[in-house]
Amino acid sequence: MADWKTEVFENEYLAADATDVHAIVSIECSGAGTAGQSGAAAEVIIVDTSGSMSSPRAKIMAARVAAAAAIDEIVDGTWFAVISGDGGASLVFPMTQANEAARGKAKAAVAQLDASGGTAIGSWLNAASELFSSVDATQRHAILLTDGKNEGEDASVLDSAVEAAQGVFQCDCRGVGADWDVNELREISSALLGTVDIIPEPDRMADDFREMMRTSMARGVADATLRMWVPQGAEVLFLRQVAPTIEELTDRAVEAGALVREFPTGSWGDESRDYHVAVRVPPKPLGSEQLVSRVQLVVGGEVVGQALVKAVWSDDTTLTTRIDSAVAHYTGQTELAVAIQEGLAAKAAGDEDTATQKLGRAAQLAAATGDDAATNRLKKVVDIADAETGTVRLKAKVAKLDEMALDTASTKTTRVR
Amino acid sequence: MSEGDPDTVPPLTACSTCGQPVVATDQFCEACGASLGASTSGAASWAASEPATGAPAATTPLPAPSLRRCRCGGAIDADGFCATCGLRAPSERDHFSEQPTPDLAMVCDKGVVHARNEDAAAVAAPGERRVLVVCDGVTTAVDSDVASLAAARVACDVLASARAADSNAPAAVVEHWTRVLIEATEAAQQAATSSAHPVGPGENPPSTTFVAAVIDGPVLVAAWEGDSRCYWLPDDGTALQVSTDDSWASTQIARGIPRDVAEADPRAHSITRWLGVDSPGGPPSTTSVVLDPPGWLLVCSDGLWNYCSSADDVRALVGDRVAAAADPLAVASSLCDWANDMGGHDNITVALARLGGPDPTPTRST
Repeated sequence: MADWKTEVFENEYLAADATDVHAIVSIECSGAGTAGQSGAAAEVIIVDTSGSMSSPRAKIMAARVAAAAAIDEIVDGTWFAVISGDGGASLVFPMTQANEAARGKAKAAVAQLDASGGTAIGSWLNAASELFSSVDATQRHAILLTDGKNEGEDASVLDSAVEAAQGVFQCDCRGVGADWDVNELREISSALLGTVDIIPEPDRMADDFREMMRTSMARGVADATLRMWVPQGAEVLFLRQVAPTIEELTDRAVEAGALVREFPTGSWGDESRDYHVAVRVPPKPLGSEQLVSRVQLVVGGEVVGQALVKAVWSDDTTLTTRIDSAVAHYTGQTELAVAIQEGLAAKAAGDEDTATQKLGRAAQLAAATGDDAATNRLKKVVDIADAETGTVRLKAKVAKLDEMALDTASTKTTRVR
Repeated sequence: MSEGDPDTVPPLTACSTCGQPVVATDQFCEACGASLGASTSGAASWAASEPATGAPAATTPLPAPSLRRCRCGGAIDADGFCATCGLRAPSERDHFSEQPTPDLAMVCDKGVVHARNEDAAAVAAPGERRVLVVCDGVTTAVDSDVASLAAARVACDVLASARAADSNAPAAVVEHWTRVLIEATEAAQQAATSSAHPVGPGENPPSTTFVAAVIDGPVLVAAWEGDSRCYWLPDDGTALQVSTDDSWASTQIARGIPRDVAEADPRAHSITRWLGVDSPGGPPSTTSVVLDPPGWLLVCSDGLWNYCSSADDVRALVGDRVAAAADPLAVASSLCDWANDMGGHDNITVALARLGGPDPTPTRST
């Protein structure tokens, strides 16, 4: 059984008439075990085999090796299949329970992968949904690799495929090279509770695939739900996952009673995730204490962790003016992500003034929140004259890959120090 | 409330929160309830309110937390918050009630502003006898919440278990209960002094006001030390404040100082008599009234009468509350809610006995 630890970081003291409560709820899982321990696990590997994957040829070669590396990590008993995707989806290896022989056959099959045709990601996802539905598994995960934009089908096909896949499987997405669309893959991975990242060079693909599959196989908690209670008359301003990545969850709420809403969080391994909770409550008399939100993690219908977000109204300004450092940190990190994404979008649209201003703000926030990784990625896109004031100049020549790396990693956050 | 000799009150300083005058050694501000940082003993837990030595155990078990409800009507969850509005539910020490018979009830509530509930009450109804005791622990002393509860319960036990008067003649009944009330006050004094933890240097020892009322047939006998009050509120006839405050203000008024001048003084609420280690001593004040039911007997702390003092005003207030529900527990709860709505600046205790049959209101107009 996994062990769960929850912590709340907040300044619960509110000044008279104050209404907004911000808190960071940190949930940590340990002893998660191995995927499939509480019901079968299933994996689908989706490899882009569109024509562009053979130019350069190194890409499809690397994809074969990477798929094999991932297959090697699949633990015995896990259902798995491999799909190749182009203008449609083809079954490379059918749903089979993993053992030495099955992994060998699957690796032989992926060694034959070749590239031709278009890119229709929606049809790949639909094929994966169908495969997952064919087995009785409680934990379903896919790896999707592409090197291009979704061009082989109408955008609405992709949208409805993503919608249909929600709740069916989680999906980690990887883009190889510089010709894929960061926003497009980010939307897919976010909706399907997965990660998105760039694989700049094909030779890094195998390591990345191996790592992704290892992580998935270490997720012994098949499915967990975040349950949030707020008092009558309260308004949820937002619920946002802020670590390890930023995910807006507010709109994913599923009503579970008059005062309770639930949010899917997918499967968990040994990891910790932080959530920023913001709730508006009617002000209470000085001295009143109230519960503003009860945040619980529910696994298999059982509450495994709980955090209480509280408010105490006080006229002691030494208490009420303090800003919790975790709340401040993640507020800065969220603004950093938005500044990077908006700055890059403005740059792409040719609006250099806005791009300079936004990326300047990003450099300022990255420095202020001690996010050295973000600072280093920003430095490949802008020259930082003064991080403290956010003074930057757009670089004259920027590698597309560097811009994409900055964009892709924008939602990755650092922890509070 | 704070305590003080009528003439030599300890030096006053200002509360750092509200600026009102406070005694230098006080733990909490009398006006706003803020901690003054004079002691680290903090709020006594409910467990600690069991007397340390000598005093008897609780006469009536407190309601289990799961049975309590929030003021909004919501259930109280396992963490002590209302499952509907989220407000912190009062602890069992901060809010408790008793109703031994349909005509007798008490509610004791922390109020809004104070950090602890130092009020206490106990009621009992052996046979036709009705016993009501209210104690208001002195905010500025350590463990007053422990002392007040121990005092109220032991006095109630003494009054409930005492034999009846030998004669039914009113004079004999008055004499009997006056004697028993003095014994009950002594027992309460004993409990208040022995219930506390050792007092550190610079700390005030726990102390409490005391008011006890016994109704035996038509006779009411009351005893008190301090400014917790007893009112007789007949449905018809003159409403009466039975007790007379032992306070600096009433001492001054008795000496001929105008009431408005006396009550405006910062020391107005300082009590001149109380129970506890440093009690001025002497027997309690006592009085008796031959009642003319139907009516309500109200015993309360200043958390209520601060907002409604004169007997006529109190009767109007109770009548107004009775209009909604005439059950003593409901009326007592409703009076506490009212005092909380008025600001809840102090702990609030209301003990009520209904005499002469159920109140006919809501049809009766007040």
